[in-house]
Amino acid sequence: MGRYLLSLRRFWGTSLASQLEYQLNALIELVAMGANLGGSLLVLWLFYRQGVALGGWSWNAALVVLGAYTCLNGFTSTVLQPNLSRIVTHVQEGTLDFVLLKPIDSQFWLSLRSFSPAGLPEVLLGLGLMGWAARADQGGLQPQQLLATAVVMLAAAATLYSLWFVIATTAIWFVKTWNATEVLRAALSAGRYPVSAFPATLRLLFTLALPVAFLTTVPAETLLGRGSASWILASLAVASAALVISRAFWRLALRYYTSASS
Amino acid sequence: MAIVMARGLRKSFRVADKQPGLAGTMRHVLRRRWINLEAVRDVSFQIEAGEVVGFLGGNGAGKTTTLKLLSGLIHPSGGELAVAGHRPFRRQRAFLEAITLVMGQKQQLIWDLPPLDSLRVNAAVYGIDDLEARRRIGELAEMLELGEELTRPVRKLSLGQRMKAELLAALLHRPRVLFLDEPTLGLDVNAQARVRQFLADYNRRTGATVLLTSHYMADITALCPRVLLIHQGRLFYDGSLAELSERLAPWREVRLDLDRPVAADTLQRYGEIEQLDGAAVRLLIGREQLTTTLNQILSELPVLDLEVRDPPIEELIGRLFQQGTLDPLP
Amino acid sequence: MSWRSASTWLRRHSVLWSVQFAYMAEYRAEILLWALSGVLPFIMLAVWSAADGPGLGLGPSALGRYFLSAFVVRQFTVVWVVWQFEEDAIQGRLSPYLLQPLHPLWRYVAAHQAEQATRLPFVLLIVSGFFLLQPASFAWPGLGRLLLGILAVGLAFALNFLLQSLIACLCFWSERATALERLLMIPYLFFSGLVAPLQAFPPGLRQLALHTPFPYLIAFPAELLAGESVAAAGPFSTVNGFLSLLIWLAVLFPLLLLLWRAGVRRYGAMGA
Repeated sequence: MGRYLLSLRRFWGTSLASQLEYQLNALIELVAMGANLGGSLLVLWLFYRQGVALGGWSWNAALVVLGAYTCLNGFTSTVLQPNLSRIVTHVQEGTLDFVLLKPIDSQFWLSLRSFSPAGLPEVLLGLGLMGWAARADQGGLQPQQLLATAVVMLAAAATLYSLWFVIATTAIWFVKTWNATEVLRAALSAGRYPVSAFPATLRLLFTLALPVAFLTTVPAETLLGRGSASWILASLAVASAALVISRAFWRLALRYYTSASS
Repeated sequence: MAIVMARGLRKSFRVADKQPGLAGTMRHVLRRRWINLEAVRDVSFQIEAGEVVGFLGGNGAGKTTTLKLLSGLIHPSGGELAVAGHRPFRRQRAFLEAITLVMGQKQQLIWDLPPLDSLRVNAAVYGIDDLEARRRIGELAEMLELGEELTRPVRKLSLGQRMKAELLAALLHRPRVLFLDEPTLGLDVNAQARVRQFLADYNRRTGATVLLTSHYMADITALCPRVLLIHQGRLFYDGSLAELSERLAPWREVRLDLDRPVAADTLQRYGEIEQLDGAAVRLLIGREQLTTTLNQILSELPVLDLEVRDPPIEELIGRLFQQGTLDPLP
Repeated sequence: MSWRSASTWLRRHSVLWSVQFAYMAEYRAEILLWALSGVLPFIMLAVWSAADGPGLGLGPSALGRYFLSAFVVRQFTVVWVVWQFEEDAIQGRLSPYLLQPLHPLWRYVAAHQAEQATRLPFVLLIVSGFFLLQPASFAWPGLGRLLLGILAVGLAFALNFLLQSLIACLCFWSERATALERLLMIPYLFFSGLVAPLQAFPPGLRQLALHTPFPYLIAFPAELLAGESVAAAGPFSTVNGFLSLLIWLAVLFPLLLLLWRAGVRRYGAMGA
């Protein structure tokens, strides 16, 4: 266990150092993040200025959903994007072999090898927006709501990670899968809006098939005090199932890779 | 107990078959045809600890596939395989800590940072504490003649320096078995010589087993007392290099610089003509008749200069396959 | 241009095209996924139709046609030259390209066109699927409008390609030009009409958007394809729309040639 923790520290230390070699990039990321959030706010505002309440949610409540989306988007830029796009590169260049021969779990290595601090401001901004908008809507925040929301957000992060990891893993078969991560991003952008803003069939899709509801709407409801224990438990169940599936799928992919590559 | 034991090793792949042109493309999109490719067929051998063995063969012969089977990156389609007491494709931790893989032209070092940073990551991953790691780095750096290169970003190093740094990173955890896949690929002559020297020293000092594939004969002749000749997935020869060239190609190559051009049929009396370029001739003469034939040449032909040496091994091997004088080992 | 040079040009391009097509056809699954990644307009359609607001002037079927057209237009105007170019520059593949008698950018154009051709069947499938699920939305735009729409899509692709190529030229100076493309993506996403038809914007913002090239990349061609009723509610007139497209093309094309020349000079100076 100590080996894994120390390796993680070294992974992230070297990753940070690597990225500081390209400072302009970090600046551009910051500006892009701001512009992205601005644009999302603009789109939401286009609805609300006409007096449309998306899915029956108030303006502040909708902002909480947007905040959760922003936070998870930041998590994607910080941990998911830099690592999982690397899997595709490894497969293309044949360097996945080096990872497989290290005496450390390959899923651990591939998932956590890199760390892009450029995404952290977005995570903080998202959390900040959630808290501020929830307080504006409710008049105050209670500690048990905060705790429950933290749990649900962690579950959401785990679910999101599993989705990305499964898609990145398909690179072992298809090689050019940055398209698939684009499909995921596009589909998940539905998480900007509360799930009740969608017609009934899509609501079902976003809850059962593609768990967008669990990523942003459920945490928002929990923070707004509207969450129930059953939704929180469902969140945890979805996260656990997702993690198990990602592990099983990775082992399947490795079995294929070690049998088909020359 | 042998450290590497392979018996009846087999590996076959399914590959898609695509014909050129637009018609071929359309067929490939709509209905693909698959071929079964046998990359390794029924290969058996044993290697003792501390040996340095070369896998020799043309491109696509199956050398890299065999090496990947031995290191656990591919699992076999059939046969038995044991390396350092483990089944490689299970990639258990004890096995992974006992081996290392180095591939020419592919790197595991972090591109933007100095090699030292990658070494620290490897030390953490292999569970080597800092003090011990520093000691080993010092030792290996001395053997590899690396100094301030360790603190320069990898992208700023030359190919030769990068390869040496890769070797350092690969050997930090003192593996007992080294798998090297074309390690000198793309390096200049000096760098190649230095890498070979290092590998020979390392084997002598630590007794590690070294398995090497290369299509540079110079690597094999300099390092490997024993070679395994692989062609079209089959093992054709397993033994010493000297014996290979001795026994199977009992010729020596004689280079003659003549005073004036001599007709081909005259020259053919002395031996087989490999190359005739005006007054410069290359002949292949059987070892047994060498001294007598040389005497004849010196007395009967206007010789300005003469050189006798072993024919290049590549030519021998090429010839062997062409003539079919070599049979696969049972 | 003589007949001989024209036929050489044609032959060269058709070979380039068929090789690129073979390359694209190799990755069937990926092309399908690429087509699917354009799903954003459908998500926005769902939100806008459920929103039931007064401001758009579009009934539910017209709204559906707008977003469907936006999807189709996006599929045939998406440009990825900056990523390919950056990779080629880093890998050193540019040098041989620059030495050939064909301007390197034509390679990328051929690659894009080949990809669009491979996408066509998937797009047709998705469009048919949409109309099967929502038969009430179907309305034939008329042959004239359809042809104008296709022309607009072609011009929009050219404009988008020019915009991204301008950023790609920056690869000659900096290694990370793709980061700038991410910045460009943001006004593209919001002002092009992909997330909301332009009439949803307040008048001030709408005027601002119409002065940028973005609305002409998606919204203008989409309105042409979606039919009379959709176009009537939107801010474009056919003539002005085409005029604006042509003006933007006329402004950016020489700029690209200048920037490219300067970039190649720098590339040569730095030691390709």
